Amino acid sequence: MVFSSIFFLYYFLPIVIILYFIVPFKFKNSILFLSSMFFYFYGEPKYTLLLLLSSFINYSSALAIGKSINIKVKKNYLIIALIINLGILLYYKYSNFFIANINLLFNSNIKFLQIIMPVGISFFTFQAISYLIDVYRGDVEADKNFISFSTYLCLFPQLIAGPIVRYKTIHKELFNRKHSFELFALGVRRFVIGLSKKVLLANILGKFSNDLLNLNEMSSLSYWAIALAFSLQIYFDFSGYSDMAIGLGLIFGFKFLENFNYPFIASSITDFWRRWHISLSTLFRDYLYIPLGGNRVSKLKWIRNIFIVWFLTGFWHGASWNFIIWGLYFAIILFLEKLLLSNFLKKHKIFSHIYTISLVLISFVIFNGNSLKEILFYLKQMFIPSNIKLINKETIYYIKSYGRILLIAIISSTPLAKTYLNKLKNKKNINIMINFLEPLILILALLINTAFLIDDSFNPFLYFRF
Amino acid sequence: MKNKFITFSFIIILSFFLITNIISKDKEISFLERRTLSRFPYITINSILKRDVFEKLENYSLDQFPLRDSFRKLKVFTEFEILKKSDSNNIFIENEKIFKINYPLNKKSLEDFVNKLNSLYEKYLKEMNVYYSIIPDKNYYLLTDDYLTLDYDYLFDYIKSNLNNMEYIDISNYLNIDSYYNTDIHWRQDKLIPIIEVLSKNMNFKINNMNYTKNNYYPFYGSYYGYAPINIKADTLTYLNNSTINAAIVKNYDNSISSIYNLDKLGSIDSYDVFLSGATPFIEITNTNYKSGKELIIFRDSFGSSLAPLLIDGYSKITLIDLRYISPSLLDTIIKFNNQDILILYNTLIINNSSIIKN
Repeated sequence: MVFSSIFFLYYFLPIVIILYFIVPFKFKNSILFLSSMFFYFYGEPKYTLLLLLSSFINYSSALAIGKSINIKVKKNYLIIALIINLGILLYYKYSNFFIANINLLFNSNIKFLQIIMPVGISFFTFQAISYLIDVYRGDVEADKNFISFSTYLCLFPQLIAGPIVRYKTIHKELFNRKHSFELFALGVRRFVIGLSKKVLLANILGKFSNDLLNLNEMSSLSYWAIALAFSLQIYFDFSGYSDMAIGLGLIFGFKFLENFNYPFIASSITDFWRRWHISLSTLFRDYLYIPLGGNRVSKLKWIRNIFIVWFLTGFWHGASWNFIIWGLYFAIILFLEKLLLSNFLKKHKIFSHIYTISLVLISFVIFNGNSLKEILFYLKQMFIPSNIKLINKETIYYIKSYGRILLIAIISSTPLAKTYLNKLKNKKNINIMINFLEPLILILALLINTAFLIDDSFNPFLYFRF
Repeated sequence: MKNKFITFSFIIILSFFLITNIISKDKEISFLERRTLSRFPYITINSILKRDVFEKLENYSLDQFPLRDSFRKLKVFTEFEILKKSDSNNIFIENEKIFKINYPLNKKSLEDFVNKLNSLYEKYLKEMNVYYSIIPDKNYYLLTDDYLTLDYDYLFDYIKSNLNNMEYIDISNYLNIDSYYNTDIHWRQDKLIPIIEVLSKNMNFKINNMNYTKNNYYPFYGSYYGYAPINIKADTLTYLNNSTINAAIVKNYDNSISSIYNLDKLGSIDSYDVFLSGATPFIEITNTNYKSGKELIIFRDSFGSSLAPLLIDGYSKITLIDLRYISPSLLDTIIKFNNQDILILYNTLIINNSSIIKN
């Protein structure tokens, strides 16, 4: 089930909210757990047992790790649990990728496995791994209650597309959380903003990309427009989903950490990755990069660490070479920035933004490419176009048609509107007006989103495939 | 106070639509969208495990959503008025008329179209008087080049250069933007008199009775209106009668007999079906006042349904064949080609999408 669907919004959500708020506190986790199971079952009936199994294995493993006094035994339990988690992930997500490459390399004919990747497996596996390591490190105690642990792992707001929530972030709230009109309203606000990002921006930008991809005659400008539209689409798609997850979390009394912080205003790629998919990059930082020694090792090892982390970051996004290239592309840039460019970028602010945006656009061409050949073709047509016009009538038509949405998307990807609104709020009279208008705008936005969902067939969540 | 208002508004809105959906009776048909709507799925364990039932539930929740048509209007309004998109679902509005983007020109389709008709000629139509004409879709008459349209010059030139042994009759100069309905794809029958005159002149038949009575039906919401349900005034559908048309007998492919205008279709999903009862592979119109005259065979699309009644006065019998629904290879089982006049009449939308014409 996806958040941006009529079934979720007008069937599942009201029933869950009503049930959740009418039962006493001791049953609230059970309601969330059961509704999360139904949420997953609705999208992946066959894999619901796998999710439950993963939940049980991690619950038991963490208990075993927590109870062990002997450090070696503790470590062994952790290693076994990690092998099981990563084994499940490798099997479902990566086995056909390995088979394809073995076949290619050795000219063999190993048959592909007839498996479909369970939705959200990368997210819940990484949540489980972070929990196990935290228990191993003694940062959190193993949860003794299966329902509360499974509620954490399977909580439907973040189950299938993140953000990756660490147990230590919400473990107190699992047992004792407050509910208030303030939190609920904050959650609604965040949810509606996220829904609008997804439905009104990401989906329309996706249509824009599609229209351009289906042009009778492409132009160099159309390749640039596709790169821009896709970069904005994936940002609003994923950050919109994160907003909806954070909003739903607040409605049910959980405070998830932020996952995005206006990445397109970053002044370097290092800065970009502090602002983009924060829950993933910090996870890799805390559970891989730092344990490998981070940058407090010899230069050679430091380079190794950077490349391992970014190879895996790319590979996490998908079992395909373009994601690996995408990760390594960032590894090279981050390495160069740390070694040579950081001071230069700090001194030249305008250049640094142009530099960052350009590299990010190129990165999403790689990210979106179906093959290396296609990626190179797209980049060539953007930078050294051959056999196509620079601009043509068709491209202009679609840029004009989607012009306002592009402008809204670009402005919304910066903190401009938020900053301006906060300034306005400082004026008493205007603040009263904003307070009066805000609920009405939220209701209107919800209804407009509903209208777009009812009459729209283009509604893919890009991050579901990860 | 504000937080309470937001909280309760959110819960009330979600619950309102949930309850309304549960208690309201499901609709069978959407007249605006011209289709049957999804019904609540039959639930079995197998359909749950295969996920079919959930996909059907998704469709059901969309199709049966309360105030669905109003929400669709809100979406189109937002796209045009707030987001300033040039088109919505490929539909655009120009001077209170609804158009649909038909783009790009499909050269392969043109080639296939020509090949199909040349084969038809070779198989059945040799030594006969064969005429053809191309009906421009209404985008042809757009007065602005702000929208993407077909390369009509290429299309017309290609067809004219590659259709062999047939005489071309140019009707494009006898139509204009007002010859078409504002909300529909089709031309208006009451605007076709100049077309009748040019066909009669080129094909050498004579229409004696051109005294028509106009019959109006209002409101007519055409097919484009369903794509873009906005506040555009409905069309008036006009159908023309005279003594010849009234006396004509229509024999359908299933041998049922009817009249030229099927008035039961007015107010149905597609009121344009009033003309010859709508889409059909094969239909014959017999002129009861002129039994010994020439016969005409029209290979046509839906545009032909409103034109043919006005031609019947010049012939003793008109046979309409729609190759979208019957393969040319079957034609000799249902009709004998001898000395009839032949008119091939397709609109540019079909020519650009000729895969729907059977081989």
